[in-house]
Amino acid sequence: MLIGLSLVPAGAIVGLLLILVWISFRFEGDGGISYGIHAYNLLYADPFVARTLLNTALFSLVTVATALFFGVPAAWLVERTDLPFKELPFTLMTMGLLIPGFLSAMGWVFLLHPRIGLFNVALGSVAGPSWRLNIATPVGMGFVEGLALAPLAFIMVAATFRSTNPELEEAASVHGMSLLRSLLQVTLPLIFPGILAAGIYILTIGIAAFEVPAVIGLSNRVFTFSTFLYLQVNPPQGLPRYDLAAAFGVLMTAIAGLLSWWYYHVLRQGHRYAVVTGRAYRPKLIELGRGGLLFAWGFLGCYFLLGQVLPLLTLVWSSLLRYFQLPSASAFAQASLSNYKALPWPYLLSGLWNTAILMLVVPTLVLLLSLAIAWVVVRSGAPGRFVLDGIAFLPHAVPNIIFALSAAYASLFLLPAFLPIYGTVFLLLAIYALVRISFGTRVLNSALAQIHRELEEAGQVMGIPLLRRIGRILLPLLRPALVNAWLWMALLTYRELTIASLLVTPSNVTLPMVIWGLWLNGTFSQAAAGATTGLLLMLPLVFVYWFLSRRAALGVWQT
Amino acid sequence: MIRLEGVSKSFRTKGGSVAALRNIDLLVEPGEFFVFLGPSGSGKTTLLRCVAGLEKPDSGDIELGARTVFSGKGRLFVPPEERALGMVFQSYAIWPHLTVFGNVALPLTQGRRRLSRTAVRERVLKALSLVGMEEFADRPAPLLSGGQQQRVALARALAVSPEALLMDEPLSNLDARLREEVRSKIKELVQGLKITVLYVTHDQVEAMVLADRIAVMAQGTILQVGSPRELYRSPLDPRVAEFFGSMNWLRGDVVGQGRVWTEVGVLEVDPKCQVSGPVVLGIRPEDIKIGRCSEDAENRFEGELVKGTFIGDQRIFELKIKQRSLWAKTMADAGEPEKKAVVRLPKSKIVVFPGADSVEGPEFMDVKPAVKIIEDALGSQRKP
Repeated sequence: MLIGLSLVPAGAIVGLLLILVWISFRFEGDGGISYGIHAYNLLYADPFVARTLLNTALFSLVTVATALFFGVPAAWLVERTDLPFKELPFTLMTMGLLIPGFLSAMGWVFLLHPRIGLFNVALGSVAGPSWRLNIATPVGMGFVEGLALAPLAFIMVAATFRSTNPELEEAASVHGMSLLRSLLQVTLPLIFPGILAAGIYILTIGIAAFEVPAVIGLSNRVFTFSTFLYLQVNPPQGLPRYDLAAAFGVLMTAIAGLLSWWYYHVLRQGHRYAVVTGRAYRPKLIELGRGGLLFAWGFLGCYFLLGQVLPLLTLVWSSLLRYFQLPSASAFAQASLSNYKALPWPYLLSGLWNTAILMLVVPTLVLLLSLAIAWVVVRSGAPGRFVLDGIAFLPHAVPNIIFALSAAYASLFLLPAFLPIYGTVFLLLAIYALVRISFGTRVLNSALAQIHRELEEAGQVMGIPLLRRIGRILLPLLRPALVNAWLWMALLTYRELTIASLLVTPSNVTLPMVIWGLWLNGTFSQAAAGATTGLLLMLPLVFVYWFLSRRAALGVWQT
Repeated sequence: MIRLEGVSKSFRTKGGSVAALRNIDLLVEPGEFFVFLGPSGSGKTTLLRCVAGLEKPDSGDIELGARTVFSGKGRLFVPPEERALGMVFQSYAIWPHLTVFGNVALPLTQGRRRLSRTAVRERVLKALSLVGMEEFADRPAPLLSGGQQQRVALARALAVSPEALLMDEPLSNLDARLREEVRSKIKELVQGLKITVLYVTHDQVEAMVLADRIAVMAQGTILQVGSPRELYRSPLDPRVAEFFGSMNWLRGDVVGQGRVWTEVGVLEVDPKCQVSGPVVLGIRPEDIKIGRCSEDAENRFEGELVKGTFIGDQRIFELKIKQRSLWAKTMADAGEPEKKAVVRLPKSKIVVFPGADSVEGPEFMDVKPAVKIIEDALGSQRKP
């Protein structure tokens, strides 16, 4: 039964990818339908495609560089030095991952407004009026995306620090190496695989990134992979070119597949230095001293200022004004809630309603399906279980917008006769859930592996049937992991824009799509008001997550 | 009664298929305490898990009581939850989200045969009192010590009134002193309940203390089944002999009825041994007599004591007969023997195994280093 349940999402994932390949070879011209490599030839010949590829590469490399630049030193400070109040950067970083990237991107557009952007005014007054930073470039967008992903680099590298035997570093200092030398010659090589893995992981995300390029690049005609796909399906004039989009998608899937393979191998290499013993070992922490401490807080503060505080404050500020201007006495006098009053409330509320439904159903569905898959993979010993695990991982490796593309095509042209779900919230629900399967199964695979199989076998031998074993033994034991993953996915669902961009119609609009729609229309102040509303609604949810995940972490069973 | 016939099981690994069980036949009588003994990888746990239904054999038949629960030919497989067994796991498998009471009660409330609330309460408390845990009934499981968890696991397995009780190395996670205590407790309890027990261990002392009968296993086969005394005194296989303490091994050739030529000279052995040609003789260190024996006794040799090691209640000697080293063990207070002493190898204590040329002496037949002998001797006192 569990095997059957696990095959449903696996079949859907494989099905959508096969449809993608099929679309890419399908050509619908005046002379009817033909199959061939027509779309690939077009891609190959088009200089715009080459530009997009170059943009994507530049964008994602800057993303990785920025994320590592902030994330790695922060991880080192938290894991290996005597920095006080370590929970603070930890909490802020985790929460930082939840801040929707398109919101900070909007903030950054205001900050780097060519004429009145805060940064550009400051730069102009220092370096002369001809100096202007332009955010609407691959480098600028990469910087914003990198700031948004620095928490991920931080969390991954911190985990590497924690699992790397600190005795190896202590041996260096005992044998007379200075701090700097031991950092460069022992610590860095030891955690290099971890940093590399984090880098590749972020590169994969950067290549597929949609939100930041969609907010900053789309209106300035600077395209990366995901926005190019969006453009092909929603062209300003002419018919959608699904075949071109799909062919480009196939190409990017191949690249993403290679990156995932590389990531997997680096990760395996990295385990060579892992601490084997499970004992609670507290490494000797490096003393920062007064100057070091100042520098450390300065560094962390700088990140939080750039990554979260400044763009979000700018967003809130601009939502109070009819048009953007620098904070001043006259600007304060003009501040009002008029933008909020002008918001298309019925539309926004319907988006909110759909988003709420998705937030409740998607995590539940993902966990149900992921539990079935993880159980088959970890426990059943069924043949082909590793193939199943690989398929469940695909939504991570393959850019999410590709699933949206495939699903849009399938629900528009293949399914309507017997499953008319295009334009309904069910389509969003299915695809949102499908792309989160990789996250759900990663969480449940490791949670299940930590529960000794004899705990289940004891119930089995003593006569408790399968469903009751799951309900009475497995679920209570998995509860901390389930609660944590559920909340996390609910919050990610709240901010989901990538998939929605291709699947949302006026009848199944979501909150992020309402905000982004206002932005694309050029009503920036209203978009800022919508974004601020979204942000304010999100805050209590983030707080609930923070509160519950702390409690859940305390409840992890020691088995 | 538990009956196994021709049970085989192999596991697929990266290097191909590995046979974990080869054609196992076994009959365990009702009420018997039966131990599977063997080193790791001998297949003893796999065999137990096949009886439990946690592994599915490739072929053979398994009967529990009057019921066939597995038949390779008949394509019958009764899943574990329908076999009516109790089991104590190596990790105890105490459910950490429940109390002591909840752990014992869960199989009774969620299992195949669900009982009424009052019946459950009565059963649980009775089972807990059997293991002396009734006053801990409301304690959350994570707050239990290892020994307490072990007792709860036992109570849980007994509370379902199982057809048979299966125990998979239940003592291996306890420290040495506790192990001895729990061991005698288990023996006492099980004798009182007259329940059939299958018990897996790699510790020969544990096996000998607990078992009515022992099956010694190696490489997926049963080498010998017998009472502890039979296995110790009349091993049918050198590996069985070796498993129950140290042995001195001598190669030899049969030169007449009950007479074997060896490196140390011609030895008389039990004439009932129907062997000829090359043989391997074994004698335990404690069976070698040093000094003081009557002139007409058999197998007397001039020996030289090379080294004596005092290990508390016993002494271990390395001695030489015609350049061949042998190990002997005496009580510590037996007095200081002469440097040159008469050494006797009583023929009733010598075990004879056919040793065809094809049998390349297994490594254990070489002379053992002193350390190993001393460890064996100490181990038999300390381990329990």
